[in-house]
Amino acid sequence: MTNLFGTTAPNAANLPRIMRVVPRSRNLEGALLLLAVGLNAFQLAQIQLSTIEVLTPEFFLYWLPLSFLALVLHAILRLRASEADPLILPIAVVLNGLGLSMIYRLDLATIANGGSELFGFKQVIWTSLAMAAAAAIVIYVPSHLFLRRYVYLSMLIGAVLLLSPMLPVIGKTINGARLWLSIGGLTFQPGELAKIALTIFFAGYLVNRRESLAVVGRKILGIRIPRARELGPIVMIWAASLLVLILQRDLGTSLLYFGIFIVLIYVATGRSIYVIVGMGMFLTGALVASRLMDYVSGRIDSWLNPFSQQNYDAVGGSYQLAQGIFGMAHGGIQGTGLGGGIPQLVPLAESDFIFASLAEELGLVGVFAILTLYLLLVARGIRIGFSHPDDFSKLLATGLAFSIALQCFIVIGGVTRVVPLTGLTTPLLAAGGSSLIANWIIIGLLLRISDSARLGSSTGENSRGGAA
Amino acid sequence: MSELALFIVRMSLLAVLWIFIFSIISVIRADLFGQKVLTRVAEANAPQVVSSPIAPSAPGQPSVPLVSEPTGSNATKLVITEGDRTGHQIKLDRRELTIGRSDDSDLVVDDEYASTHHAKLVLINNDWLIQDLNSTNGTYLDGGRVGTPAVVKLNTSVRVGKTVFELRA
Repeated sequence: MTNLFGTTAPNAANLPRIMRVVPRSRNLEGALLLLAVGLNAFQLAQIQLSTIEVLTPEFFLYWLPLSFLALVLHAILRLRASEADPLILPIAVVLNGLGLSMIYRLDLATIANGGSELFGFKQVIWTSLAMAAAAAIVIYVPSHLFLRRYVYLSMLIGAVLLLSPMLPVIGKTINGARLWLSIGGLTFQPGELAKIALTIFFAGYLVNRRESLAVVGRKILGIRIPRARELGPIVMIWAASLLVLILQRDLGTSLLYFGIFIVLIYVATGRSIYVIVGMGMFLTGALVASRLMDYVSGRIDSWLNPFSQQNYDAVGGSYQLAQGIFGMAHGGIQGTGLGGGIPQLVPLAESDFIFASLAEELGLVGVFAILTLYLLLVARGIRIGFSHPDDFSKLLATGLAFSIALQCFIVIGGVTRVVPLTGLTTPLLAAGGSSLIANWIIIGLLLRISDSARLGSSTGENSRGGAA
Repeated sequence: MSELALFIVRMSLLAVLWIFIFSIISVIRADLFGQKVLTRVAEANAPQVVSSPIAPSAPGQPSVPLVSEPTGSNATKLVITEGDRTGHQIKLDRRELTIGRSDDSDLVVDDEYASTHHAKLVLINNDWLIQDLNSTNGTYLDGGRVGTPAVVKLNTSVRVGKTVFELRA
């Protein structure tokens, strides 16, 4: 009897059903990728035609690297992870391509206005590096289960990365938040990578502690208050996330880490009480912080009253938020078309506010398309987790997928004034190397996990059907 | 470019974006639909390998009605209805399926009430039988403890430790 991991047994080879299924998902991925890179070419061509009114060879500079690497990744998946989910890669490529086009479009506006701070080419370089990182994960990580050996090491790495911006020389404060490392002119946001390391740690930790967290009263309607000592780990992570809030002055980062932890506890134990308690604790902490810290209360005031003259004129006030909202209103339902709007009026239009820039030029119809893409990406990630038989993979895939979802919520919610604005980046869209690398690593891990998830979920079909 | 051309380009970009999304959704839909087709193919193939058309009732289970169809050809999957993996499914083929805490079990039941090799499901004469492997806390079929191997009918609960599963068509 083959077990879940012995599924590559030779008898699987004489099963015609498998022979058909494997190439089908990869062929689908190939077709979707062609559509995705075609979409990117369309965007870039539209941008060039509507802003400089002529197609230049620069088009290929922005189009080829992403398209070429997407097809390379596709080829690698065919060879190394043929059972991987076919939808994740095309969705990631479309999102990355949309971001790249918008950044290029903002660069053209900057050039037209005589500015010199360009992000497009850097973004191309970072995209290439990030996709290479995803490819390296698919090639060199034989199984994500190998990450389970390094659970406590990843906690250490996560904590070091998270706290590294506090270091005296290389740490750097940008726009009031101390989230960056600056080495030789290159700035890097280590918190993005810490997100992955900490998700690995949370998943590994909770697999071991699941029993003790879940064991009391799970069957009794689920609404039984956990004993005080079971709340210990939550209190620890809560304190750590408040420390991040106080030291680094960023509400979004601390909410992201705490949120991932709470959701993983919920997935591991199935007890909603942890979510309720966790949300209550975070809200309490944030409320207290908003009373004590000017930075937080200022952000909350800008969020509630962005159009008051006082907030609008204040340094670090609501000018950016209000401009973003004006831009989105300018876009209306169908948008101004790429190159037709004036998204460059918003400060940081290429990074923090890229969602507002896209909303202005693609309109409500385009915004819903982007949100649907994120929804599908996250849903695939959670499905991968769900279909996996072992708990570590379940928690890891769910945690990684949820980190994208929560980050989208925090950033897009901030831009659209659903929650207070914070300094996180829109996954895969925004300009910024660390964010791109971190998110492509997540894509690589999800692809790697999904490769073994497919085998695990259909054991009967794959490993045992052969001899029937 | 003229106003009209810009408008057409603008609209077609949004259209292509949504075409991409709908092709992804249609793949997801085809995934679900495709699995159904596979199941039907498996069902159509099943009778060819049936060893005996007769469904004998197991000892200790006199209540097996003769009108009930044999579970062997109907049950295509095992669905967990209670426990840590609620909702998880395992496809059944015609080989035996082991249940227990050990990692090499086909259905790994990870709780302290289950034994290392707790029970197994075996297809005999086109009926799925549950056999308790002398487990500490026992295996329960439809509420009663399983002594000798008993026939598992479709949609009947089988409890192993804290996990409950059913065979479904």
